[in-house]
Amino acid sequence: MDELDLLKRDWKKTEDDFPKLSYNDIYKMILKKSSSIVKWIFIISLLEFGLWLIISFALKDNKSMERFKTYDADLILIPLTVIGYVVLAYFFYLFYKNYRTISVTDNAKVLMENILKTRRSVKHYVAFNLIYLAVSVVLVMFIQFDQDEQFIAQIQQASADGELVKYYVIVILTTMAFLAIAIGVLLLFYWLVYGILLGRLNKNYRELKKLEF
Amino acid sequence: MSEELEHSFIEQLEKHQNIVHKVCRLYTNNQDAHNDLFQEITIQLWKAYPKFRGDAKFSTWMYRVGLNTAITLYRKKKRTIDTQQFDNIEFKIKSEEYDDTEEQQLKLLYSAVHQLNDIEKALVFLYLEDKNYREISETMGISEVNARVKMNRVKTKLKTILNP
Repeated sequence: MDELDLLKRDWKKTEDDFPKLSYNDIYKMILKKSSSIVKWIFIISLLEFGLWLIISFALKDNKSMERFKTYDADLILIPLTVIGYVVLAYFFYLFYKNYRTISVTDNAKVLMENILKTRRSVKHYVAFNLIYLAVSVVLVMFIQFDQDEQFIAQIQQASADGELVKYYVIVILTTMAFLAIAIGVLLLFYWLVYGILLGRLNKNYRELKKLEF
Repeated sequence: MSEELEHSFIEQLEKHQNIVHKVCRLYTNNQDAHNDLFQEITIQLWKAYPKFRGDAKFSTWMYRVGLNTAITLYRKKKRTIDTQQFDNIEFKIKSEEYDDTEEQQLKLLYSAVHQLNDIEKALVFLYLEDKNYREISETMGISEVNARVKMNRVKTKLKTILNP
């Protein structure tokens, strides 16, 4: 006899071994909150959108940003701000649309794909923000070198001391280090949070995909 | 959600609760984890219930939600991961009905099934529940041919575990 048929015979016999939950037991259960990964992805995604919004507002009130407003840089600053908000709105719409399509009654593969798609829209948003951050920092640096009195004075001083190259190298390296730390912290966050949340889903999705070949 | 909906849901789940128990039995290995997964499946069933259309059988619909919760949505708690417990799990094998060899074989089989990966377990589960390959393929989102191929591989795997 086939091993599985032997198992099937026993499987049916052991049905009565399960505890019988009462109407009230089930009622209590439906009042409790879910701890599914979809709920966590939703919460974490909202936090990510929130985080970038807070960062953009915090930068706005920053003193050096106030100084930046006095420069002749509207041509750069306004498009940058507009792009930032348009992209935020677009990604938020995409995220919400994908989130709404997640349904536990779809087949296993479609369900997994929809969850991964929702997660991906947030991932792309964060990637956009990192690129946006890097581009902004570079642009700000150029404008400051060109227009900021403090920077111009420092450049002149460095030039007079014959250390202009050293000055540029220090400023550029410091900026790059700041960017690298910011990106590093975010990547670590992703690796930890999504590794824990989606490890199982990814593994099972790969297994299902493997069956297609 | 209305009381009427709540009432009809609980009544149906109460009647078909063994399906959820069986999913939990395959995917967990202790009572705490079993209860935890049962709770999550119940919540997912309840959340999806307003969209449940009578054209499918409630029990058929439960298989899909139950398995989806177990293999995709549920986050295992650390305390439930303990492969050592497989052999001692409380599968009640009615020893008076079997000879020793068969009982031993069943113990090994249950233990072997627990060692399969999540997807293989889902296929075995649906097979044990008398689902045909069309239903298995629809639940998992794979083709019927692939479901058959995979099922045969699982059978071979189980045979190898039993007769090394």
